[in-house]
Amino acid sequence: MTAAREAIVLPFLLLTVTLLGGLQPGARIVFLPPPLFCLVLSSLLLAALVRSGALDPVRLMHGSRPVLANANGAIVLVALVAAGAQVFAMLTPASGLPLFFVSVFFFVLLVNTLVASPDRVRLLRSLAVIFGAGLILKFVVLAGLSQPAGRTARVLVALFDAATFGSIAQDPQPAAAGYLAFLTVALYLAGAALLPAVRAVGLEPVPRMQLPEA
Amino acid sequence: MRESVVRSVGLTASLAYGALVLWLYVTQPQTMAQVSGGLTSIIGAYSVDQQAFDDGLRFFRADKFPEARAAFARADRAGRDARTQFYIAYAFYREGWGRTYDDDVLFKQGLTAVDLAIALAPNGRLVVDDPDLQMHSADELRAELQRGLTIELSDFNPLRVLRKRK
Repeated sequence: MTAAREAIVLPFLLLTVTLLGGLQPGARIVFLPPPLFCLVLSSLLLAALVRSGALDPVRLMHGSRPVLANANGAIVLVALVAAGAQVFAMLTPASGLPLFFVSVFFFVLLVNTLVASPDRVRLLRSLAVIFGAGLILKFVVLAGLSQPAGRTARVLVALFDAATFGSIAQDPQPAAAGYLAFLTVALYLAGAALLPAVRAVGLEPVPRMQLPEA
Repeated sequence: MRESVVRSVGLTASLAYGALVLWLYVTQPQTMAQVSGGLTSIIGAYSVDQQAFDDGLRFFRADKFPEARAAFARADRAGRDARTQFYIAYAFYREGWGRTYDDDVLFKQGLTAVDLAIALAPNGRLVVDDPDLQMHSADELRAELQRGLTIELSDFNPLRVLRKRK
């Protein structure tokens, strides 16, 4: 990994995700800090990244590295945890039954990913699916149901509210919120892909089998 | 470029960016004017629009309080000037003051403004040297607004109608 990537690109990407993840666009801009549960999810995600080899913490912080390099590495790690927490907070619905189920959904998926120990590429694909599913659920499905117009949506919401122990209706969101969430998730995934991975060691190129000449 | 230079530049920029992100979450600015005002006040470069402030003062002295507040808000777009916020709070007080009862809504808004003025003032101490005012410190104004919001036995005293607006 180059010094520029570690000292400039990764902190910029991850801090931007931290900034945008809590941004609530609207008539009045609000910056929401992540709830405690999202910090737990982010820590699980960090563990999954390390376990899969997508992140090698030794390449960010180690006694053999210079102090300046370790400071750069520490900023990347802190920003990674903060960005992860903000992404989870952004993708989790604000209230009601969806808040409960999506939180459980994220937790179970992350624990499953952690236990399954996928390799780097599979973990990144899995992350894209987890975040993509969260994005579609909150900003497409639930946002659609929360539109003030639409008789079908109102009937569905009323039926669901009556049949379960909580409401699925969410506060309507400005159109920009979904686009902002998409950009934030894309930046996070780009940042995760750029993290210093575990180096493959001791793998010799396999000689090709040669057919005997006729 | 040497690696140490890249790392130093990256570290400085990251710390500055991180501090900006943290500042945004702590102060919760709601408009771009508040963001730019907050940032300029950190480096001591923030100033109010003097023309708008003078307009506000003229309206205030003519008992045109909504107009005065609008002008003061224009003068201090970012809400970073303690003196302007003090006048906004005073305008809420004078408009909300009544001989028989005070307007709680306006007094609450005044309390919010004076709290902001106190928070912005150095060491929380704010004294405005204006002969037109009967209360010169933010502490006096705050106490008066709080008294107005509290229901006391003295509120039912008929002689209350003789009191004067400060």
